[in-house]
Amino acid sequence: MSASQPEQTFEQAQAELEQIVERLERGQAPLDEALALWERGEALYAFCRRKLDAAEGRVEELARRVEQSRPSGI
Amino acid sequence: MAKVEALPYDDRTVYSVAAFNRGVGQWLGRLPTVWVEGEVTELRRHERWATVFFTLKDPGDACSVGVTMPRSRFDALRLDLEEGERVHVFGRPELYEQRGEFKLRALSVERFGLGRHLAALERLKATLAAEGLFATQRKRPLPLLPRRIGVVTGNAAAAKRDVVTTIRDRFPPASLVVAEALVQGSRAAGEIVAAIDRLCEQGDVDVIVLTRGGGSFEDLLPFSDERVVRAVAGCRVPIVSAVGHEQDTPLCDLAADARASTPTAAAKLVVPDLAELCGKLDRAREASGRSVRISLGQESARLERTRERLRLAPALTVERKRAALEPLAAKLASLSPSATLRRGYAIVRTESGLVFSCADVEPGDRVEVALAEGAFGARVEDVAP
Repeated sequence: MSASQPEQTFEQAQAELEQIVERLERGQAPLDEALALWERGEALYAFCRRKLDAAEGRVEELARRVEQSRPSGI
Repeated sequence: MAKVEALPYDDRTVYSVAAFNRGVGQWLGRLPTVWVEGEVTELRRHERWATVFFTLKDPGDACSVGVTMPRSRFDALRLDLEEGERVHVFGRPELYEQRGEFKLRALSVERFGLGRHLAALERLKATLAAEGLFATQRKRPLPLLPRRIGVVTGNAAAAKRDVVTTIRDRFPPASLVVAEALVQGSRAAGEIVAAIDRLCEQGDVDVIVLTRGGGSFEDLLPFSDERVVRAVAGCRVPIVSAVGHEQDTPLCDLAADARASTPTAAAKLVVPDLAELCGKLDRAREASGRSVRISLGQESARLERTRERLRLAPALTVERKRAALEPLAAKLASLSPSATLRRGYAIVRTESGLVFSCADVEPGDRVEVALAEGAFGARVEDVAP
């Protein structure tokens, strides 16, 4: 599964990332697999970061529109 | 008593008008004296006249009858009657012979007492309650945001002003349509019913307020009139009744979908306070924006913490692998022959491998000799078994 697959949600990516970190922290994975997990983890991190940044951008955009559309009566 | 003379014409008996009237008058005069109930209208009393005239009207019907009463007798009653008042007249029928008009000649007039009004009201209330007109399951909810509001009220009433200004202040987008009606007296009930009907006929009225300010018990009576109560119960759109003060409960209050103690309270029931509503919405909007930002911040912090752990994890793994290697290296070192060689031993090899026995070589064979430091080639000189 790739982090860029559209069906993956932020929460799914975050959960997978945390599993990977826990697995790496236990230190029992073979070295090659550990390296592959690390790479995967970085990709998941980047995906989550993009999602959060996009969400923040939308919040700010909405807040600006709210300011502009404050009703003065119906 | 004057005799009624008939004029004979051949085989026909003919009366003069005067005689006819007189005859009918005498016949009417033999009818008993009775009590008649009705509402006083068109009361005419002049100092110059010996007789007081008024019309007694049936409130539920279009019927009426003219009443005459000697002025001295009328004045002695000190009734101070007003238009539309309900009275009981004790009298008997009489013909005004000059015009052939039938009148009720009053001997006495009594104001229809409060007690009787109350008893009549209680009877009507029981009847209408038995029909289910006041049942709670009949009550409809008022519209949340009415576009068009009908108001039935008196034309110069403070109640009208209260309702209209309160609605305009609280909810400016609503449009108002006022149907004026007399709100006291004998014609009030009919006008109120007509006003409700007019509003319903408009088709786009979402809710109706029926209102009147405080007044005497008699003033509020039209709002307990059976016609009004039935019109309220049968009204096509939800109707709010605000008649009189808190302690008054005219029957229309019971039949309405909601009742309010004052006209202002009725207006508040009918429309929300737009400014307050907008304020609430704004606050909810701000709160939701705030909570979204907070949870975004929390998610971001959590993500960064996870990323930090991720960054440290591979180094940790490599470190652990390295740590696991070190005892192996020590063991490996302890197993190597170099320590033995340093004590002066040498390793001898031929092309076919390590030399363990003199039987492995013959004189003239080439051997490789490995020392603690370096190696050299040699040839076997002799063999000693």
